[in-house]
Amino acid sequence: MSDEQQKQQSDPEAPGGLDFSTVIASTVHDMKNSLGLLMQAYERWSSALPPELSETAERGMIEYESMRLNGMLVQMLGLYKLGVNQLPMRPNWLEVEDFLQEQLARHDEILRSRHIEGSYEVEEDGLMAFLDTELVGSVVGNVINNSIRYARSAIQLKAWVADSQLVIAISDDGQGYPPSMIENQSEYVLGINMSTGSTGLGLYFGQRIAELHHRDEVKGHIELRNDGPLGGGEFRIYLP
Amino acid sequence: MIDYSKKRFLVVDDFSEFRTSVTGMLRLMAVKQVDAAARGEDAIAMCRNTRYDVILHDYNLGAGKNGQQVLEELHHAGLISPHCIFVMCTAESSQAMVMSALECEPDAYLTKPFNRASLQQRLDKLVERKLALKPILDAQVKNDQQAVLAACDQVMAANKRFAPQCLRHKAGALKALGKHAELEALLNELIADRPLPWALIMLGNHWLAIGELDKAESLFTSSISQFPMLPALFDGLAAVHAARGASAKAQEYLEQGLRISPNSLQRQHELGRLARANGDYDKAIRAFRQAVDLGRNSQFRNPDDHLGLASSLNEQAGDEAPSPKALLEIRQTLGDLGKAWKDDPKVTIRGNLVHASAVAKTGDQAAADKLVAEASVRMADLPNFFTAQIALEVAAQMQHLGHADKAESVLATCAEMYGDDARIMEAIASQTSNPEILNAGLQAQTLNREGIKAYQQQQFPQALDLFRQARDLQPRNISFALNTAQSVLRLLLAEPSADLKDECLQCLAQVSNIPATDSRYPRYEKLCKTVAGL
Repeated sequence: MSDEQQKQQSDPEAPGGLDFSTVIASTVHDMKNSLGLLMQAYERWSSALPPELSETAERGMIEYESMRLNGMLVQMLGLYKLGVNQLPMRPNWLEVEDFLQEQLARHDEILRSRHIEGSYEVEEDGLMAFLDTELVGSVVGNVINNSIRYARSAIQLKAWVADSQLVIAISDDGQGYPPSMIENQSEYVLGINMSTGSTGLGLYFGQRIAELHHRDEVKGHIELRNDGPLGGGEFRIYLP
Repeated sequence: MIDYSKKRFLVVDDFSEFRTSVTGMLRLMAVKQVDAAARGEDAIAMCRNTRYDVILHDYNLGAGKNGQQVLEELHHAGLISPHCIFVMCTAESSQAMVMSALECEPDAYLTKPFNRASLQQRLDKLVERKLALKPILDAQVKNDQQAVLAACDQVMAANKRFAPQCLRHKAGALKALGKHAELEALLNELIADRPLPWALIMLGNHWLAIGELDKAESLFTSSISQFPMLPALFDGLAAVHAARGASAKAQEYLEQGLRISPNSLQRQHELGRLARANGDYDKAIRAFRQAVDLGRNSQFRNPDDHLGLASSLNEQAGDEAPSPKALLEIRQTLGDLGKAWKDDPKVTIRGNLVHASAVAKTGDQAAADKLVAEASVRMADLPNFFTAQIALEVAAQMQHLGHADKAESVLATCAEMYGDDARIMEAIASQTSNPEILNAGLQAQTLNREGIKAYQQQQFPQALDLFRQARDLQPRNISFALNTAQSVLRLLLAEPSADLKDECLQCLAQVSNIPATDSRYPRYEKLCKTVAGL
């Protein structure tokens, strides 16, 4: 192989070459659109069915998995943009209660069809926070998706301020995170250990989004615990 | 529970599936009136006939205008009230946010796919917010900025949840009122607490506007390191360098902003202008082509983009004739220009001259002369004159085409109208050494300066007398007419007089062609408003 050929193969910018991450990014974008249309068609179709045919276990499964798929695609696109330093950050002041309501509303059907009670609690009435709704929303959304899988009957969102950081906690009444995951969470967060696939990647993504929120020298972070208020696992995101 | 039954909705999306599904969700919320459109152009047309309370607009409509462009056009045409809720629906909000302009943001972004609960939750909040902000929005509808300020304080005091929106409206009102010190204090306070993107951009632009270029540069630079995906910051940095005369650097920053957000007409327009001034004709041509394209069917289309494209193609060839391909594009571009702005003789004149210059270089002097003659006839009939900048360009073109007499006559008018501005006189002096033009205004300018002194000492009758003399010498001068009008108004306010009112109106009518970009324009507007209120 000549030097010229070598260069062409390794240089993603070379004409005719493929920059695989750009391919992924644009494909993911189309996949998201496609999934959206698929779900709309499905919804129309299922709403036209008689209740005995539409209220089935398969319905919950389709809705839940498509939600998960969507969350994964958002996360993948987010990770790609983080990698090329093109993730737009647009923080703003917002009311924390609105934010939590919004997150639960997005999972409304799935929570109801699985008979899981979703609730939220804000420590201080009218609490305001400065964050990027879009980014933090995608992290919280993925955590809720994950919790739905393990929760028995309840998921709770809670927000409070500790050491002038906003803490948003998502907890459930499932069996909690595996002890090894709690122990090794710093490795997931650093992106060292990806052995659990999407969950590990989700933690890494959550940490990166949290870190984008910083004030003075303090950076945001995430934390996993098993002593949640509902008895199961608890995911916390700290935003200074 | 919010009653949606009387609210009018418009749903805009290119997929009929989506329109049907959203309409279905709205029906479940008891909404009765839902209109739907597939294209942004249709949405704009529908907004002409109906005042919608809520517009749910898809961002990416495939071909045609995107949601941001539609929103900007609705604002520009006054087809959307501040009370209207505009929600941008997108598969990926971050992309749409990058495109949004500070002055024209949707009320919310809603990420697709969304369910009914999300839609309702979001709309409930937005309706509640618009209701709480009603006193502010009412004052905005009346364009009463003083009332906006008062309403902001009132709403914030009543409910601090809405403070973020109130503070933003407050900053807008302070800016509109020209209350520089208060605006700066407010923005500084906001960003000292948190790096609020809109406040950073607004403060940078404020410093830029008052000439604090170093402060503006350091703010824009530090903000970019924090928010590398905000194109407005690159625009700001480009403007700082342009103001310093570093146009190559300015061009570089504009190009960076365009890499993030290429579909901005204004940004492409700026790049074309700068690149042409820098002699970077390849980039200028590309930028103007994009601007012409983006301006098609848009209210923001600007004849300067067509003229810039044709001129750049012409100038790229230097003293040689443009290539046949370039010539063809010049002809086509100017043809489009002539059609689109057929009722604007000033645009036609400028088109004629660019065309003449290209044709002259091919050796067809007769055709060039014919175009210049056409332009001259039109120029004699102009109801009002060019801006100073364009007059200088027209004069230079005339000169270059070998019509020195016509060039001088344009410069003479330019000197009369704008000659009290030393920078413009300097530019005129670079084109002619004719003492009749360069010195014609000296006497009037002296009278005007003395008038200003008298006015400052509150000797209004003396001031008026001096301004009148200046105006008699140079009736087309904008400053002299405005100064006369203002002095007359002073006397009028003390004692009504039909004659004085007539004189004031005449002065203002004389300069009614003052471009909206002129620094004296706000003053002109204020005078018109005051005299109309008498």
